[in-house]
Amino acid sequence: MNAIEIAGLRKTYPGGVEAVRGIGFDVVPGEVFGLLGPNGAGKSTTIGMLTTTIVPTAGRARLDGHDVAADPLAARRVSSVVFQEAVVDRGLTGRANLELHGRLWGIPAERAALRISELTEALGLSEQIDRAVGSYSGGQRRRLEIARALVSNPRVLFLDEPTVGLDPRIRHELLDVIASLRAREEMTILLTTHYLDEAQRLCDRVAIMHRGEIVGLDTPAALLADLGDEILELRVSGDAGAALMTLRERGVATDVAFAVGSTLTIPLAGRPAADAITAVNDSGVRAAGVTTRASTLDDVYLRLTGSELAAAA
Amino acid sequence: MAATPVALPLPAAKPARARAISALATLARRRAALTAANPRQILVPLLTPILFATVIAPALKTALGGLHTNIDYTAFVSVGTVGLLVPLAATFAGLSVLVDRDSGAQRELLAAPVPRGLLVIGNLLVVLAMCAFQVVALIGVAALRGADFHVTASGIAWFAGAAVLFAVFMYGIAETLASRMPQQEEYIAATPVIAIVPWFFAGALFPIAALPAALTAFAKVLPLTHAMALMRYGLVDPKGTGLHDIWGMSNTTVEAFLSLGVVLAFAAVLTLVAIRMFSRSAVR
Repeated sequence: MNAIEIAGLRKTYPGGVEAVRGIGFDVVPGEVFGLLGPNGAGKSTTIGMLTTTIVPTAGRARLDGHDVAADPLAARRVSSVVFQEAVVDRGLTGRANLELHGRLWGIPAERAALRISELTEALGLSEQIDRAVGSYSGGQRRRLEIARALVSNPRVLFLDEPTVGLDPRIRHELLDVIASLRAREEMTILLTTHYLDEAQRLCDRVAIMHRGEIVGLDTPAALLADLGDEILELRVSGDAGAALMTLRERGVATDVAFAVGSTLTIPLAGRPAADAITAVNDSGVRAAGVTTRASTLDDVYLRLTGSELAAAA
Repeated sequence: MAATPVALPLPAAKPARARAISALATLARRRAALTAANPRQILVPLLTPILFATVIAPALKTALGGLHTNIDYTAFVSVGTVGLLVPLAATFAGLSVLVDRDSGAQRELLAAPVPRGLLVIGNLLVVLAMCAFQVVALIGVAALRGADFHVTASGIAWFAGAAVLFAVFMYGIAETLASRMPQQEEYIAATPVIAIVPWFFAGALFPIAALPAALTAFAKVLPLTHAMALMRYGLVDPKGTGLHDIWGMSNTTVEAFLSLGVVLAFAAVLTLVAIRMFSRSAVR
């Protein structure tokens, strides 16, 4: 049985705003699945439907076999969420926040106490755990929220933009924590982010969302494979769409090349960079800057979501 | 940071009713802990009613000669100020629902495997405990100031029944407003209208029969009027003068049950509305 099953999931808000437009995917137990997209792509609405705070307009979603619409209590029992914003009782101690989660999820007190002890040790919160959460730093509070979500040993863990707003050091630290969660048995993680490096580092597979739809879904390696290992990036001073069309006609760029703003991204597909630069010069396209670099998920993302110029070309 | 701990197996599921009771106790304990962490929420609503009961009531009694009946005016006003204390306490407690939603753990509670109506009931239980403490403190202070109460077991039962049901009603209003209002500022602006305005019409400082006929008729439909008449019947006025002013019947016990029924009906309806509004506002 899949840990997460989604089919034809759709959400249209009053007023006709289509936040999610019939998405579908399955996530197997133990998988770390990333949902990528910018603000407004539909990630948070998808998480909201899976955590039963948003009612789907159509479609079906199941967590560990429990339908989120027909049996929301059972779906919530097998899952936990780490929210994008701070969602804690600041007036209570860290321990009280964790104990509250344990009791609400029906964890026996002795087991919860043992679990809290393990998690606070594992997440480096032992010194702070008996202080009011209002005194925690941003990173400590985030780690507390992750620890809280784990107290009930969920089969499905939702991490909604877990590193947004954190400074680089704390973000790096948290990514280590999340990476370590992968070692846990039977726990499936659904992570939303708009930091593509996070997805590349943590996820077994990623789905790229754009305007409520999934426009790409595969392993990071497979998504990158379309672009090859190396990218030629050109900044052009004129019409980027026309320049891309010229380079395609001359065989310098293939269909997977794309333009965003004044920048052309051209996968080299094994061709030496020097040959490609020479071909660009010969094509008559005026380049204001030329660089080569390794391809990243950012390139995949831009090709799939920001490629209106490429599509027009 | 150390290695991630070993996963433990999921606990066996408890029966649904046991889970609900356990969850309700947990939610109430959480609200109690948050309330205890902010003692001002308990003490501030007490201030104005205590001043009314211990300063204004004795002064008016001295200046105007009281009600010119065998009812002690200080005791009469002391019970009347319960009608101010309970709405203030309930609406202040409603504000914490907004705080929970805006900067607290409400979303975590909504993600928990418990029926969402229990969040409202858990809050209500703590509000009832807080109001009980405040009302006992108010009546105690008034008694120390010289208010003359007629204390009997049945009288205390009438008083307590009316006070509890009125607190349930007021908290139903507070939760409903908190669920409906997007911002704390709007909620705070509505507080005087909800908590204080009815108090002027419900006979807190004088019998409602002293009002013009139209306002008397209006006062009779306010649950606060019924609650105060019942509380006075219990502690101050065994003859039930306030109940007669409402119902105009000869049997005081029947009048008391009718008024209790009115307050009960308002309490039940507003609690159901509050649960429905909260549950609806929790999902989009």
